[in-house]
Amino acid sequence: MEALSKKPKSGPGKKAVAGTGVVGRKTPGDVIFDLINHCFFGIFSLLCAFPFYFLFINTISDNDLVQKGQIKLLPRGINLSNYLAMLNVSDLGQAFLVTIARTVLGTGLMVAASGLVGYLVTKKEMWHRKFWYRFLVITMYFNAGTIPWYLNMSMLGLTNHFAAYIIPAVVAPYNIILVKTYIESIPSELEESALIDGAGFFTVFTRIIWPLCKPILATIAIFGAVGHWNSYTDSLILMQSAPELKTVQHRLFEYLNQTTNLASVMSSGGGMLASAVARQAMNAKVLKYTISMVTVIPILVVYPFMNRYFEKGIMLGAVKG
Amino acid sequence: MKQELSARERMAGKIGILQRIVTLLSLFFVFFPSVNPARVSALVGRTLSLFTSGISYARLTSEMGRAFSKGWISPVSIRILFAGSAVILVGIVLSCAASCMSLGNLKLKSYGKWFALSGSVLMAVGLLLIRASYLQLLGSSNPAKVEAAIPTAFYLYAVFTAILVLTSASFALLLPKPPADSRCEMEAGYKLFLMFLPFAMLCFVFSYLPLYGWRYAFFEYTAGSDLSMDKFVGFHWFTTLLSNEATRADILRVLRNTLAMSGLGILTGWLPIAFAIFLNEIKNSRFRRIIQTVTTIPNFISWVLVYAIALAIFSTDGFINTMTGGDVNYLMNSSHMWLKMLLWGTWKGIGWSAIIYIAGISGIDQQLYEAATVDGAGRFQRMWHITVPGLLPTYFVMLLMSIAGILSNGMDQYLVFSNARNKETIEVLDLYVYNLGIQNGIIPLSTVVGMVKSIVSVILLFGANRFSKAVRGESIV
Repeated sequence: MEALSKKPKSGPGKKAVAGTGVVGRKTPGDVIFDLINHCFFGIFSLLCAFPFYFLFINTISDNDLVQKGQIKLLPRGINLSNYLAMLNVSDLGQAFLVTIARTVLGTGLMVAASGLVGYLVTKKEMWHRKFWYRFLVITMYFNAGTIPWYLNMSMLGLTNHFAAYIIPAVVAPYNIILVKTYIESIPSELEESALIDGAGFFTVFTRIIWPLCKPILATIAIFGAVGHWNSYTDSLILMQSAPELKTVQHRLFEYLNQTTNLASVMSSGGGMLASAVARQAMNAKVLKYTISMVTVIPILVVYPFMNRYFEKGIMLGAVKG
Repeated sequence: MKQELSARERMAGKIGILQRIVTLLSLFFVFFPSVNPARVSALVGRTLSLFTSGISYARLTSEMGRAFSKGWISPVSIRILFAGSAVILVGIVLSCAASCMSLGNLKLKSYGKWFALSGSVLMAVGLLLIRASYLQLLGSSNPAKVEAAIPTAFYLYAVFTAILVLTSASFALLLPKPPADSRCEMEAGYKLFLMFLPFAMLCFVFSYLPLYGWRYAFFEYTAGSDLSMDKFVGFHWFTTLLSNEATRADILRVLRNTLAMSGLGILTGWLPIAFAIFLNEIKNSRFRRIIQTVTTIPNFISWVLVYAIALAIFSTDGFINTMTGGDVNYLMNSSHMWLKMLLWGTWKGIGWSAIIYIAGISGIDQQLYEAATVDGAGRFQRMWHITVPGLLPTYFVMLLMSIAGILSNGMDQYLVFSNARNKETIEVLDLYVYNLGIQNGIIPLSTVVGMVKSIVSVILLFGANRFSKAVRGESIV
């Protein structure tokens, strides 16, 4: 308490990790604390990473051993035939196509729209700008509910239609706020000088605003893409009579819930299992693991590279529009 | 002379407003199946809007297979119907273009008037085509099945078209000739607005229009039928919800689950702070980064994948059982469901939720720590008296947001983990609405539940916002 009430002494700015303060010698208490702390975080990280590792070693091991439950911590009999077998899982390829298409198209359109609309709502000349901005933003705070949303989609003819994945997600108020806030932080002189030089609206937008906004656009693009890749409730609700439009996550959910007879989904398209695969009988367990792995790999691969954008995203989220 | 011109221009301006409103209305109704002027026969599906009937011949004829094969109607009359709908759509598009152009200068307006004229004429032609199709359908060999009739919406569109023809004609008469050397121009404010307009429309269609679906809460409705006033039941469903023994029990159970799991989430809302503070005590920055990266990954996988992981670890042939040699299916065990859901949620979310606090810590003035150390404060004292107070404002916002969202815990997590055994304790409000409305097709009742939930949520949010303003002088929304 006393520490707070006293005025902080001004000292030379120390280059230290946040919260370190002035560190003296380590007391035995400090050592024990550090040990426990490191152990805790080490264990928790293991808890987060191990399931992925466990799935992975089971998919690359010998299927008989997997079936007997003998793959525990290390892979044995390494082979990639399970991944090759994925090619024969009927409907999975289609589901991947749909998901990739919606991720690319949906994210692209959303980012373009957020960029343009985010810029438009910063323009003070726009007719009734304040009203229209609120018109967009207020939609974040209410929600008609699942059923009215579903009925609305079916009224618009978007049920069992690929466009249902893309069009409703084009206008994303939250992302628009992020872009708007970001543009407002750009010095306005840049834009003004371009306008004086005779650049039109679109020239300013494409040549100046868009390039400057790349960091924030990348951030919302990644969030959008992850959202598209992971979504399955829209597929579940809207695509009830269009199985060819189910997303990967929806398919995975179905496979996970099929306890018996999973082999029936294999190669029901008529193709025989590849000979390399035929030697190993696929079983339900391995199939589930492999499909899970295939759906999660894109995220795991992209994630480390995108980490900084993710973090930037949540920090920007803390800034209100 | 000049005075007279501007009076005429003012007049034209007023007519322009009328024209824009009518155009907007006719564009708007294009997407509503209940106001489809092309529904001249019972064979045209009830769920078809003018838009669908005008762009997809396949959808238009989807229910006519029998009528074609039995020869009740000729494909020609349906083609005429389709052409009529399509022509109306083109007309509306032209009228929309004209409305946009009428915001410009004289030159642009004078181009616009041709768009307006041709658009309204096309709409009239389209309506005539639909009428021609209707006349053909009247001569069907099976009038009882075909039920040819001019829908009310047809007259609505006839009125729209008449207004548009009149306005564009008077527009053409009233508008003075633009100066010969002028160029097409428009005020910047309008230009920007017109660029914004398509997005505003999308937002309206997907965020505001669903509110119109709340009307199902007041009607007797089963999927596929249409709403008419004789099915209006007032607040019947609202009272059913409370008076019917079974639904009341359901609602109470679902509410208990929802509040319990949200409540547990709120009670453990401080965990990310602890996570952030203790993570910050790790001085090896490489190790810290690795931990941060690994612990945030679960946030970016879907709940389906979390379920896949749960299966791999906890099911009968999962990791735990292979290690212990048992064969217990932990996932089918329905005890402590709330706690388990909390643990999964924490596993998935804690690393991510901590990021905002980690950033908050790096924003705290270093001198505070130095001063405290000089004054003899230990590690824990510094944490408790400097770091924690520094993070409290952020925590407060998060807390209020989670209180405002207490009814909306989403259905993703609970849907994937639910099974026949744990349904009693896992079903939250969102999942209940889904099961009731989508799975069992009980639309009105599920709409009522969703509607009440939405209203309560908005009230909670604004209440939280009020509270935040009163206490911190800052709003959270």
